[in-house]
Amino acid sequence: MGETSTPEQTNLLQGTLDLLILKTLSLEPMHGLGISRRILQITGGTFDVKPGSLFPALHRMEQAGWLAPSWGESEHGRRARYYALTRAGRRQFHTETSQWGRIAHAMDAALKAT
Amino acid sequence: MPLLARLASLRRSLFARRSAERDLDDEISGYVAMLADENVRAGMSPAEARRQALLSAGGVEQLKENTRDTRAGIFWETLGKDVRQGVRSLARSPAFAAAAVVTMALGIGASTTVFSVVEGVLLSPLPYRDPGRLVMVMHHGDQPVAPANFLDWRRQSASFERMGAADFWVPNLTDGEVPESVQAVHLTSDVLEQLGVAPRLGRLIRPDEETPGRDHTVVLADSFWHRRFAADPTVLGRVIHLNGEPYTVIGVMPPGFEFPPFWATGTELWAPLALKERAGSRDAQSLRLFARLKPGVTLAGARAEMAAIAARLERQYPGSNRDVTVTPLSELVVGNVRPALLVLMAAVAFVLLIACANVAHMQLARAATRQKEIAVRGALGASRSRIVAQILTESLVLGIAGGAAGLLLAAGGIRAVRAWGPAHLPRLEAIGLDPAVVAFALVLSLLTGIAFGLAPAILTSRRDPARALTVAERGSTEGARKNRLRNVLIGSEFALALILLVGAGLMIRSFLALGRIDPGFDARGILTMTVSVAGSQESGPSRRAAFYQAMVSSVERLPGVVSASAINHLPLAGDLWGWSFTIAGRPKPPPGENPTAAYRVVLPGYFRTMGIPLLRGRDLAADDRRDGPGVVVINQWMAERDWPGQNPLGQRITFDNGQLHPYWLTVVGVAKNTVRDEWVARPWAEIYLPLLQTPGYLERTSTAYSYLTLVVRGRGDPSSLAASVRKAIHSLDRTVTISAVQTMDDVVAQATARPRFYLWLLATFAGIALTLAAVGIFGVMSYAVSRRTHEIGIRIALGARRSDVQKLVIGQGMAAALLGAGAGLAAAIFLTRLMRNLLYGVGPNDPATFAEVPLLLTAVALVSCWIPARRAMRIDPLEAIRHD
Repeated sequence: MGETSTPEQTNLLQGTLDLLILKTLSLEPMHGLGISRRILQITGGTFDVKPGSLFPALHRMEQAGWLAPSWGESEHGRRARYYALTRAGRRQFHTETSQWGRIAHAMDAALKAT
Repeated sequence: MPLLARLASLRRSLFARRSAERDLDDEISGYVAMLADENVRAGMSPAEARRQALLSAGGVEQLKENTRDTRAGIFWETLGKDVRQGVRSLARSPAFAAAAVVTMALGIGASTTVFSVVEGVLLSPLPYRDPGRLVMVMHHGDQPVAPANFLDWRRQSASFERMGAADFWVPNLTDGEVPESVQAVHLTSDVLEQLGVAPRLGRLIRPDEETPGRDHTVVLADSFWHRRFAADPTVLGRVIHLNGEPYTVIGVMPPGFEFPPFWATGTELWAPLALKERAGSRDAQSLRLFARLKPGVTLAGARAEMAAIAARLERQYPGSNRDVTVTPLSELVVGNVRPALLVLMAAVAFVLLIACANVAHMQLARAATRQKEIAVRGALGASRSRIVAQILTESLVLGIAGGAAGLLLAAGGIRAVRAWGPAHLPRLEAIGLDPAVVAFALVLSLLTGIAFGLAPAILTSRRDPARALTVAERGSTEGARKNRLRNVLIGSEFALALILLVGAGLMIRSFLALGRIDPGFDARGILTMTVSVAGSQESGPSRRAAFYQAMVSSVERLPGVVSASAINHLPLAGDLWGWSFTIAGRPKPPPGENPTAAYRVVLPGYFRTMGIPLLRGRDLAADDRRDGPGVVVINQWMAERDWPGQNPLGQRITFDNGQLHPYWLTVVGVAKNTVRDEWVARPWAEIYLPLLQTPGYLERTSTAYSYLTLVVRGRGDPSSLAASVRKAIHSLDRTVTISAVQTMDDVVAQATARPRFYLWLLATFAGIALTLAAVGIFGVMSYAVSRRTHEIGIRIALGARRSDVQKLVIGQGMAAALLGAGAGLAAAIFLTRLMRNLLYGVGPNDPATFAEVPLLLTAVALVSCWIPARRAMRIDPLEAIRHD
């Protein structure tokens, strides 16, 4: 359930949350709770995104034109706001992915250096 | 944020705030519900599941608050970023920004000023109830009506709810130390009733007060109530003395109430009109009829009915009911300035268009030099709409800055119009920077901002970034499309400027023609003032002649005075009475066809003082008295009309109205023609009678016969005589009133104020237009040369002569300018016809103006192209080719 909170979970790198949301939505449109569950799942339980950071992020990304919201029904019959990637969102996802790759590679190299 | 997304979110956050709020509520409560569902599925009781869900959501309200903040923050932050970036990038090119803002400010300032005038004078309705149904029933549109006709029309017509009559009146208020002359109107009860404005105190005039003996009541204007009674609420029932007679105050009108809205402007007193013995007269035409159309009756219907009534009466009383007209009141108030204001509006629209065209190609040139920057941004992933949004924001920043500067200019402009505008421009007091005008300026500046931002924005962003980068890199020749757009802009500027200049040229010519009109008198050195004996001790029949003579001789004794005299109605500034007369020894013409002439009553020395040459015969003399034979001087126009080819001297006439001069008058002199009541009116017959032989002016106590205008010719500045002349008159009698003290030069200046005002405005606009067009073509050609440095370098290196280069550049600029000027010339031929009513002594298609203006414009275009062309000629080929 992710009730426990560890330092790793709160200290999400700036920009990491956006990238994780973009990644989640690149597979299929999803509502808020679904997004946080999926992130928890694909990060192996490392990142449990709290609603207090999730919803502002979703609305910010919507305003940036990356996400398009629409109302739908959840798997258990609840009315829910689904988010889908726009074309700009997809482009942003690719840009951030390659950027992340470069950063990760550079950090890795830097930390291994002796 | 891309433009569309921003607009969508702007709409959401501003206009659909409630629906956005509901969305947020639903989303969060859905989230909590789903979380609770999970908990239930994990085995919790529903209540516990919900409690846990709320707990882990961390406070629903706070969550919503955070999300809301994010949304609002981003919108303003992005907008702020774009505005800051716009301002920064404008600050990097201050010359461009300044030129654009000044151009916009001129355009917006001029158009807001003129719009204010048009709004105040033409668009805002008259301040009465349902003013569209108020009409005037008159002769020939605006000529007054005789009392008997008024009574017949009112009785016989069925088109009007009410019809009332008003009569001009300037009584002397004789309460207090020094009497004061007041503008007033006598009117029947219907006139005020039909306006639908309630008095702030008391009541309006009642029908039973239109009878002699009960007519000494008066309604006060708010201004008079404040001035004379310090806004005393117990004023009703108090008595004021007008021409020495007591009038009881029955009402006070609300502040801002004004009537009539033209003619007798500034009226402060309204008193009942009792027609008395005049009621049967069909000759004394002095009434103005105000009427309100019945609901459902059209103007055409009322006109048809009045035409039928007039035709019937004309058969009964020949010559009495010619050309009876029904005219909307608003038409009479603003009718004769409407064409001028519409022409000014058009002129101002042209200035604004030229300003926009200028800023548009400034932007275009700027966008071209920034192509690389924009291309780099595009390559880095900025979307097209993002770039367009940013350029647009920059344009809007310029537009708003220009709008603010323009508003400042307009505030000054409106002040100038109110200060220097012609005094007779109707409803001048209604002009101001009111909310409607400010809204106009704001919309104008925003629209202009969008308009001139859009073309460059689209052109720039349409480019494929890769191509733009390489083209910008090489910096060689430019796209043909952009050249064409620039040529169109230059061409339209010159077309518009040409139309404006032709308009201004025609105004200048007609103003010069106005200046060449010979008034017939020598206005220099003359001081005039109106002296009224109404209500004073001098108004008695036995004293008046002696007082007037004593007045003139005591003024003539003053140092600095050459001569003095007096007349009943001064040309240009005074009234004009026309009387019909009969010539001795001629058969009586059919009724209504007798010759008429202006009725001027003078003291001896009038012609000498005014500098009016006597062409034949003698002047009227001091010994032309009532006991001697009746004599008159006529003007040249009358001599030629009534005695063509004969000697008018010794001929005899008599006025048809026997009350005036029940005896024959002999023509003893012929004077030069003078201007009449209006500067441009054609000359007309005039008869000058000696005051000392005129019973009306010696005996009648009505206000119209109780004043004269004193004319004084002095050495040097006539206005310096005003104080000593006033003192000399008051030392004879303190109870006479002196008003309208002005020099004859001022009188002439006022008579030509309106054309001068239009000329001044139109010339200002034409000057602005010419400057903007010149700056525009100069800027474009300089820019074109700097962009083509590389190409020109190659041409020179390949052997082109420098004079060829100069010709190339000048030719290119001139082609666009001349093409535009040609189009403007064609348009001007049609457009100047709208000015026909404003012109005097020059046709709307005056060939000289149409020849000179294109020459002037060509010269300006040549000079503007010449400077950049010289720079092109001096390009060093080696430098140029090596350059970028």
